[in-house]
Amino acid sequence: MKIYTYGIIDAHDRIRDEAILGLEGARIYTIYYLDIGIVVSELEQQTRYIEDNILEHERVVEKLMEYFTVLPMRFLTVFDRKEDIIQMLKDYYRDFKKNLKRLRNKVEFGVKVIWPGDKVREEIASAYTKQYELPIANNSAGAKFIQEKFKEYKIDKKYEEEANRQIEVIDKFFCEFASEKKLEKHLNKSLLLNAYYLIDKEKQSTFKEGFERLKGAASGFNYLFSGPWPPYNFIILNKKSYSLKA
Amino acid sequence: MDNKVDNIIGKSKDVTLLELLDRILDKGVIISGDIMISVADVDLIYLGLRVLLSSVETINRLGGAPNMGIMQGPG
Repeated sequence: MKIYTYGIIDAHDRIRDEAILGLEGARIYTIYYLDIGIVVSELEQQTRYIEDNILEHERVVEKLMEYFTVLPMRFLTVFDRKEDIIQMLKDYYRDFKKNLKRLRNKVEFGVKVIWPGDKVREEIASAYTKQYELPIANNSAGAKFIQEKFKEYKIDKKYEEEANRQIEVIDKFFCEFASEKKLEKHLNKSLLLNAYYLIDKEKQSTFKEGFERLKGAASGFNYLFSGPWPPYNFIILNKKSYSLKA
Repeated sequence: MDNKVDNIIGKSKDVTLLELLDRILDKGVIISGDIMISVADVDLIYLGLRVLLSSVETINRLGGAPNMGIMQGPG
């Protein structure tokens, strides 16, 4: 028998154990240490780790999230004994307390922005040719090479400026509602931005309305908006590992 | 290109699953210790590979390889 973990909660956020079922339909319950707790269920050793279980894990965390602040555990965090879990809670206690306080009543939203990067680049290249390209006075291979390199450099720079300008507009728009953010920029020529925002539960609907407004603003852009998620991207742990007592 | 993007976005269930996998597999509370994930390391690798493959497929469909830069800070 193993113990499967779903999320860290404040101890005063007591759940009615029988109300939520976990993986394999097992009853979930909470193991407490001081004023924090961890929601778990018992698991047979031969469980298969398939898509259904990933969805089940998320379903439990989201159910908990309806009622209180949860620090979601990574999928497949499994322990052998209750004593090991208590040791882990003890070792990470300060980190968990800090995160529970910081993430209280907050949810995460994801925004992916897909833009016509190729088209933008073509337009920049074409504008450059019209504006700057001069007949080569010195027709040597060396001069041509330098001019070509300079053109590439100018286009790259302009392209990056344009991408950053668009990201700034989008980010400024969402930032207004967010208490924290995490941005991954220029992931490839199509995926302009992958952003995560931490939002007050109460501001969720304003955030969603904001997204609806943004959607129509720029042509050729596609947006992928997801949430509310448990704050997976905003857990900060300083302690790197815990000591297991024999 | 646009049609492909539309197709990806249209598959909302798959996209949601990818969004979920992006979070659930390597984010959240990550504990490192001797006895962690004692159940099925092999299955985890298998799952990781499958996720990796589908992510690569998505990236290919979107075009280009990822080039990541991370900025983090208060809003």
